[in-house]
Amino acid sequence: MTDTTSADFQSVIVPPPEGSLVLECKKLSFYYGQNQALFNVDLPVKKHAITALIGPSGCGKSTLLRTINRIYDLYPGQRAEGVIDFEGENIIGPKVDVAALRARIGMVFQKPTPFPMSIYDNVAFGVRLHSNKSKAELDEIVERSIRRAALWDEVKDKLHKSGLGLSGGQQQRLCVARGIAVNPEILLLDEPASALDPISTAKLEDTLEELKSDYTIVIVTHNLQQAARLSDYTGFMFLGKMIEFGPTEELFVKPKVDKTGEYIGGRFG
Amino acid sequence: MSVETKFKPRFDPTDPIFRWVSFGAATTLLVVLASLIGTLIVGGWPALSEYGFGFFLKFKECPVGNNSWFCIDTPWNPVTDVYSATAPILGTIITSALALLFALPIAIGIAVFLTQFCPRQIAQPLSTAVELLAGIPSIVYGMWGLFVFAPWFAKTIQTPLIIAASQDPTSWFAKMVAGIPNGANLFTASLVLAIMILPYMAAVFRELFRSIPPQVREAAFGVGATPFEVTTSVIIPYVQKGMIGVVMLGLGRALGETMAVTFIIGNSHKFPKSLFDSSSTLASTIANEFAEAADLHRSALIALGLVLFLITFTVLAIARWLLSSQRY
Repeated sequence: MTDTTSADFQSVIVPPPEGSLVLECKKLSFYYGQNQALFNVDLPVKKHAITALIGPSGCGKSTLLRTINRIYDLYPGQRAEGVIDFEGENIIGPKVDVAALRARIGMVFQKPTPFPMSIYDNVAFGVRLHSNKSKAELDEIVERSIRRAALWDEVKDKLHKSGLGLSGGQQQRLCVARGIAVNPEILLLDEPASALDPISTAKLEDTLEELKSDYTIVIVTHNLQQAARLSDYTGFMFLGKMIEFGPTEELFVKPKVDKTGEYIGGRFG
Repeated sequence: MSVETKFKPRFDPTDPIFRWVSFGAATTLLVVLASLIGTLIVGGWPALSEYGFGFFLKFKECPVGNNSWFCIDTPWNPVTDVYSATAPILGTIITSALALLFALPIAIGIAVFLTQFCPRQIAQPLSTAVELLAGIPSIVYGMWGLFVFAPWFAKTIQTPLIIAASQDPTSWFAKMVAGIPNGANLFTASLVLAIMILPYMAAVFRELFRSIPPQVREAAFGVGATPFEVTTSVIIPYVQKGMIGVVMLGLGRALGETMAVTFIIGNSHKFPKSLFDSSSTLASTIANEFAEAADLHRSALIALGLVLFLITFTVLAIARWLLSSQRY
C-alpha cells in the first residue's frame, strides 16, 4: 500500500502523450494564510480533452482549479508556490496580468452565477471587455455561444429578458455560454452540475462533450460516474496531494494506487 | 348532519389572549399614525382655510423688467399674520437634494472600498468608525457646523468666491455665490446634512455589497473583468434595488433633519436667490418658532408639519414604486 503521509510520497502520474499538453502544474503548493491546502501537486492538462479531478471533500480539487486562473488573487493571504506552465510561461508569476489570463482560462462555478442583466448582455459581457466588436459581430458571437451551450432553443425568444429569470439548469448553461463567448483556451468547471437535476445535468454533459473539440476542459466533480462518462484523463486527489493521474479508463478499471481503488470502490469518501 | 373528526383542536386558554395581544400591538401603530395625521390636519386647518392655495404658492406684482421667477411671494410675518410655506418647502427640497448629491458618490465610494479593495485588517476598524459616525446626535453636528465649519467656510471659501465674482457682478457665477459671507446658508446646511447622512448610507451600502454571493464577484473576475468593470457592471446592478431604498431612506432623513440645519441655514423666509443665500426648512421653522407661536401662527406651523409629512410620505411612495418596477 502506498503511504500518502510520508515526506517522500510520490504521485503516480501517467501523463498524456508528449507535446499534447496545453497547461501543466508542476510541484504546485497552495496556502490559505498559514494552512497549506496543496502539496507539490502535478497536473498535466491535455489539449482539447476533458480532464476530471475527483476526490473526497476538502481534498483540494477546487483549490487546484481556483489556482489555475488565479481567482485566489482576490483574497489577500492566499498564495501559490510552484509552477503552472501555460504556453511556456509560469502564470503564478507577479507580472502576469490576471484579467488577460482569465480571459483565456475561463471558469464556471458550482452555483449558477448569472449577472443582473439580460441573457444577451450576460453572454456579451466578457466579449465587450476584451474586444471592440460591431453589433452584428456581437450578435453572431452571442448566438453561437448560446447554441454551443445547448441553450439557444430555450432562450432565443427572450434574449433581452433577465438572466435571473431562467431555471437553475438554464442559468448554468448560460454561464457556460458566457465562459466560451470570450473564446478561452481552457474552461475550468467547479462541480458545475451539483445544483442541477438529472435532465439538466445530462444536457450540460452533452454540451461539454460537444465543446471538447475546440476547448480544453478541466472539471471538478463529486460524481464518479460523471467523471468516468465524460473525461479522457482523471486525477484523484486526497488531503491536498495528487495521488494518481492517468487516462480515465485505466484509473477507473485498474488503479495503480490502493487509495484510488478504495475511493472509487466506495470504501471511503 | 355532523361529521365526526379525529382531528379535534387541543384547547389552549392562552391562545385567544395571545391572538388579541398581538393584534393590539399591530393596531397600536396604525392608531398612532391615524391620530397623528388627524392632529396635523385639525391643527393646520385654520391656516390652510385662511390662505387656501396661497399657502403653498403666491405671486406678487412684478417690478417691470425683473425676472418673473422671483415674483413668487414668500411672506412669513407673525406681526401681520401672513404666512406662506413656499420658502421652507423650497429650502427643504434644495438642501436635501444637494445633501444627497454630495453624499451619494462618497457613500458608494466608501462602501466599494471597504468591501472590494480594503485589506481585512483595516476594513474592520474603518467599518466601526463609519458606524460610530452614524450614531453621533444631530445637535452635535449642528454645533460643529455653526461654530467650526461655518466660520471656516465663510473665510476660506465663500469670501474668495465673492471677491472673484466681483469682477463681473452680472454673471451667472456671481449670482450663484451672492450672499452674506457668514457661512450660514443653503450650501453649508446641505454640506452638514451630507456629512450627517453619509455614514448611515455608507454603512447600509456596505451591508448591501456584502450580501452579494462571492461567486458572482468571482465569476465577473473570472471572465477577465477589471475591478472597476466588476463594480460598475455587476456589483452595483446586482443590488440596485436595495440602493434605491437606501437613497430614499437617506433622503427621508435629510428631509426631516431638524437641529443641525436650524443651527446653520440662516433661518430666513425669503425665496433663495443663490447657493449662498440664507434660507429655512420646514423642520427648522417649526423648531425655531413653535415655542412663541399662537393662533394662526401656530396653525401655520402645524400645517408646515403636515406638508413635511406629505413630502416624506411621497418620497417613500416613490421608493416603493421604483422598487416594484425594477426589471432586474
